[in-house]
Amino acid sequence: MNSFFLSIALICCGGFATLFIWRNFVLMKATAVSVISIGCTIGLFDALVKLLHPGPYAASFEYLKLFSLSFQVDGLSAFFLVAIYAVSLLAAVYSFHYLNKPEKALRAAVNYLFFSLLIVSMALVVTAANMIAFMLSWEIMSLSSFFLVIYDYESAENRKAGYLYFIFSHVGAMFILVSFGILYGYSGSFLFSSGSTIPDSAKLLVLILSFIGFGSKAGVFPFHVWLPHAHPAAPSHISAVMSGVMIKTGIYGIVRLYASLSLHTPLFGEIVLIAGMISGILGVVYALGQHDLKRLLAYHSVENIGIILIGIGIGMIGVSSGNPIMAVLGFSGGLLHVLNHSIFKSLLFMGAGVVIQKTGTRTIDMLGGLLKNMKVTGITFLVGSLAISGLPPFNGFVSEFFIYLGGFRGVALDKTAFVLSIMAIVSLAIIGGLALACFTKVVGVVFQGEPRSSSAVAVDEKGPAMLAPMLILAAVCIIIGVFPRMFITLALKAVPVSGLGYGRIPMEPFIQMTANITLAATVFFIVLLMLIALRLVLYRGKTIGKAGTWGCGFTQPTVKMQYTGTSYAASILEFFRPAAPLQEDHPAIRGRFPQKTHYHSHVDDIAELHMVRVVVNPVLWLFDRLRWIQHGDIHLYIGYILLAIVVLIFFV
Amino acid sequence: MIKSILFWVLAILLAPFFSAVILKVKAFFGGKKGPPLLINYYTLVKLFKKGSVYSTSTTFIFKLGPLVSLGAAVTVLLFLPFGGHPPVFSFSGDLLFILYLLGLGRFFTIAAAMDTASPFEGMGAAREAYFPIICEATMFMILILFYILTGELRLAAYFSGGQPFGLWQAAGSPMLFVVIAFFVILLAENSRVPVDDPATHLELTMIHEVMVLDHSGPDLGFIELGSFCKLFFYSSIVARLIMPFESGYLALNICLFVTSLLVVSMAVGVMESVVARYRMDRVPKYLLTSFALAFFATVITLEFLR
Repeated sequence: MNSFFLSIALICCGGFATLFIWRNFVLMKATAVSVISIGCTIGLFDALVKLLHPGPYAASFEYLKLFSLSFQVDGLSAFFLVAIYAVSLLAAVYSFHYLNKPEKALRAAVNYLFFSLLIVSMALVVTAANMIAFMLSWEIMSLSSFFLVIYDYESAENRKAGYLYFIFSHVGAMFILVSFGILYGYSGSFLFSSGSTIPDSAKLLVLILSFIGFGSKAGVFPFHVWLPHAHPAAPSHISAVMSGVMIKTGIYGIVRLYASLSLHTPLFGEIVLIAGMISGILGVVYALGQHDLKRLLAYHSVENIGIILIGIGIGMIGVSSGNPIMAVLGFSGGLLHVLNHSIFKSLLFMGAGVVIQKTGTRTIDMLGGLLKNMKVTGITFLVGSLAISGLPPFNGFVSEFFIYLGGFRGVALDKTAFVLSIMAIVSLAIIGGLALACFTKVVGVVFQGEPRSSSAVAVDEKGPAMLAPMLILAAVCIIIGVFPRMFITLALKAVPVSGLGYGRIPMEPFIQMTANITLAATVFFIVLLMLIALRLVLYRGKTIGKAGTWGCGFTQPTVKMQYTGTSYAASILEFFRPAAPLQEDHPAIRGRFPQKTHYHSHVDDIAELHMVRVVVNPVLWLFDRLRWIQHGDIHLYIGYILLAIVVLIFFV
Repeated sequence: MIKSILFWVLAILLAPFFSAVILKVKAFFGGKKGPPLLINYYTLVKLFKKGSVYSTSTTFIFKLGPLVSLGAAVTVLLFLPFGGHPPVFSFSGDLLFILYLLGLGRFFTIAAAMDTASPFEGMGAAREAYFPIICEATMFMILILFYILTGELRLAAYFSGGQPFGLWQAAGSPMLFVVIAFFVILLAENSRVPVDDPATHLELTMIHEVMVLDHSGPDLGFIELGSFCKLFFYSSIVARLIMPFESGYLALNICLFVTSLLVVSMAVGVMESVVARYRMDRVPKYLLTSFALAFFATVITLEFLR
C-alpha cells in the first residue's frame, strides 16, 4: 500500500504547493500539473499492478482510539483506481493551457487545491474498507467538487448550479448514511465485509436506500437533476473528471454494497436494470433537446450511467437466476463501460472545453465549421462521438457488445427475467440509435458546415497541453475498440470481487469474444484500405473542381439557412413529447409587413418539473410551518440542548 | 473459404442488377419500356470515369463518407451466407457487429451530408438519423426471436443451408409476421417507397438522395454501389426466408436463391408502383407497425414453444 499512499501524498502536495507560489502564474501551474501528474502516474501503475496480481492489500489507521480508518485494494477498487488516475492525469495536463487567465491566478491555485483533493478523495472512496473511512472520503469528494463547480462564482447561474449540486450530494449522502446506519445496527461492525451476516429484509432495505444515495451521485434518473446544471458551470477539465470518473464512484458504491451484502434476490437486479433503461433512454432524449454543448454532454452521462446499470443489472439477474455466463458478461460489460465512458466522455468534455475557450460560446447553434481551423480538436471529438455512439471499431461498441451478449443469455430465462432481458436489448438498440442521432447533430452543427455566427469564424487551436491529452484519449478509444483483449481481462479481474462466489472465472470464452471483435475490426480496416486505394486509382489524373454547395437552384444562400441543431432534433423530440415536453416561444408572422420575430425552444426535464412540485414545495411548506422553533432566543436554544441530552440519557 | 470469397465478390457484382429489376418493374407499371437491366453498371462505369467537384464548405469527412458507407456495406456482405453457402466470416454475435457497422456507415453518410452546409441535406440527414432507430429496434426484436428459436447469434446460423426452413418449422405461421416486418425494414433502410422515393426530383421530400446531392464522380459511384450492396443484403435475407429450402446441389441452390431475389425485387417494384409515399410524419407509425409485428411474432412463438 506504500506506493498508493505515496501517490496520494504527492497529489496533495501538488495541490497545497499552489497556495504558496500563486503569484507566479506559470510556475504555479507547472508545479501543480507536474506534481499531480507524477502522483497520478505512480498511482496508475500501482493500481495496474494490483489489478493484475490480486491480493488483499490493506492498511488501517487508528483515529483517536475511537474507530479505525481502514483501506483495502482489491480487484474492483484497483479497476476504478485505474480509471480515476488515468483521467485525472490527463485532465491535469489539459488544465495547464486551459486555465489561461493570469489575472485569476489565486483562483486557479485554489482550483488546483480542490482538484487534488478531489482526486485523492475519489481514490480513498474506492479503497475504503469501512464505513467511516468511506463516508469521510465521500464527503471530502462532494465538498471539493462543489468548490470546483462554483469556479466562476460571479455568474448567478453557476452559483445556483453549485447550490443544487450541494443539496443533491448531501441528500444523497444522507440516504447512504441511513443505509450504513441500518447496516451497523444489525451487524455491529463498521466493516463492509461484515454486511453479509444481517437478515435478508434488512439487506434489501440497505441496498435500496443506498441505491438512491449512490444514484444521486451517479446521475440515475430521476436523481440526475444536478448533473446538467453542474457540468456546464465547472471548468472543462473539472467536468471531464466529474463526468468521467467522479459520478462512477456512485456505480462503485452500488457494486461494492451489492458485493459485500451478497443478497442474491432478483428484485434488486430488476430495480437496477429498470433504472438503467429509464436513465439510458431519457438521458439521450434530453441530450437531443439541448442547445448548450456541455449540458448536452452532461445528459449523455445520464445515458451512459444507464448503459452501465443495464450491464450490472443483467449481471445481477444472471447471479440470482443461476446463470454464471450471463452474470459475468453483464458485470464485465458494465465495468468495461465504466472505463470506456471515462475515456470518451473526458475526451468529449476536453474537446468542448477547447471549443468554448476559443469561440466564447457554449450554444451549439451559434457554432459551425470549426473542423477547418481546429483539426486536432475536430478529429478527436469525432472519434469520441463515434465511440460514445457505440459504433465499431471504437471502444463503446466493445462494452455494449458484452452487455448485449449477457442480455441475450437472459432471453433464455423465464418470466420476469425474460421480459426484462428483451426490454434491455431493445432499449440498448434505441439508446444506440438516439446517441448516433445526437452526436451526428453535435459533430454536424458544431464542427461541420459554415460558421453560424461571428464567434465561430476566426478560431485557432493553440495549446499543446490541451491537444495532447485529447490525442491520447482518442488513440485509446481506437485501441480498446480494435484490441479489447487486455481491457476485458482487466474488467474480468474486477468481476470476481462483485460477490458472485464463482471462484476463478475461466478467461478463454471471453478472450475468444474479444478475438472475434479484433478480427471483425481488422477485416473492416482492410476493406476500407482497399477502397481508399481504389479511390486513389479512380481519381488519378482527374480534374477536381471547387464550387459552392448546390443550393437546388437558389443562388443566394446564406449561412443562416443551414439546418440548426434545434431543427435537426425536432422530429425525434416530437416522438418523445410525452417524456420531453417542448416549450416553444414563437410569435406568428402576420400581415403584409411582418414585424421581427424570434424562436426560442426549451425541452423540459420531467424529473426537474416534478421535483419542484412533489418534493421542493411540500418540504418548503413543512419547514415554513416549523419556523416557530427557530425564534432567536438563545436561552431557549440552550434549553433544547439540555432537553436533547436528558432524552438521550433516559431513553437511549 | 476460397469459394466463400468468390461468392462474396459475386454478391458485390450482382448487387447493382437487382436494383435495376425494380426500375424495370416500375417502368412496366408506368407503361414504359424502362432502362436496360444493366443500367446500374453503365451508371457506375460512367461515374467512375468522371472527376469531381467539391463544395468549398466541405472537409475531409465529405470524402470519407462514401468510403466508410461502402466499406461498411461490403464488409457486411462478408458475413452473409450467399444462397445458403457458408459466409467468409462468422462468429457468435456477428449480427451485433453487422447492425452497428451499418450504423457506422450511416453516421458517416449523415456527417458527409452535414459537411456541405446545405439546408436540404441537413433535412435529409435529420430524417436518416430518425427513422432507422425504429428499424433497429425491430431488427433486435427479430433477433431475439431467432435467438430463442436457434440459441445462436450468428447470421450464418439462421440463413445458411436449409436452416431457414428450420426457423419456419419451429415458429410456424408467426414467421409470416417476421417476413413482413423484414420487408418493411428493407423498404425503409434502402430508401424505397413508401418511406422515401429514390426517383423524386423534389429535394424537400427525399431522404437518401438529398443527402448525396453534392457528391459527384467516383465518390457518388461508391455511394451508389454501397446502397446496392445494402439492398442486396436485406433482400437476400427476405429471399432466404421466403425460399427456405436446400436442394443439396450448389448450382440449383444458387438458381433458387437468385430466383427468390428476383421475386423480392419485383415485390419491391410492385410496392413502389402501387403505393404512394407517406407524409414524413406518418413514417414512424408505419415503421412501428413492423416493430409490433416482430413483437407479436415473438410472443406467439413463445406460446408455441412452451
